[in-house]
Amino acid sequence: MECSPNRYSKRSLLLALLCLLLSLIVGIARREGLVPPSLRWAAALLPVLPMVGYFVGLGQWLKTMDELQRLIQLEALLIQFGLTGIVVMAYGLLAKFEVVPNTGIADSWPWLWLLLFLGWSVGQLIVRRKYR
Amino acid sequence: MINRLRVLRAEREWSQADLAKRLHVSRQTVNAIETGKYDPSLPLAFAIARLFGQPIEAIFSPNGGAHA
Repeated sequence: MECSPNRYSKRSLLLALLCLLLSLIVGIARREGLVPPSLRWAAALLPVLPMVGYFVGLGQWLKTMDELQRLIQLEALLIQFGLTGIVVMAYGLLAKFEVVPNTGIADSWPWLWLLLFLGWSVGQLIVRRKYR
Repeated sequence: MINRLRVLRAEREWSQADLAKRLHVSRQTVNAIETGKYDPSLPLAFAIARLFGQPIEAIFSPNGGAHA
């Protein structure tokens, strides 16, 4: 039986929330030194699973849209992609020239998600205005 | 492209939301087509033509082209 996109999205969202909850528990266990070395790989990558669910849900959500809405999302994603690439490249070059702190990927990856979200929001604002 | 969608819709006294519901698209899409900001795909153009019972070329024409 095929699931409707909304039902599928809800299932993906629930799975993502479950993974987030598990990640929280694992995070606390790591801080307390309770994660055995053999489980470090699995524990470290657990928070990635909700993101997979997020993108699967996003894909299903796009399928529920009409052609103009999909075009708007595509153009917004193009702006997001360009903006994120430019900001990351500019920051990387500034760090090479020691103008800004050289943060490692282990510390700076959460900022990438924030940047992606901001880029997508800016893209939405620009593109929606175009087709208003 | 230019189109007669607004005129055809007005003749039937439909709102943009009514037309959007009949075409299974958003109201923003209907508005964007009517104002010429967006050219519909061929399947949507066929759906519009079918809904109004007219050939596509009677509803849509190239910029500057003569309407049927």
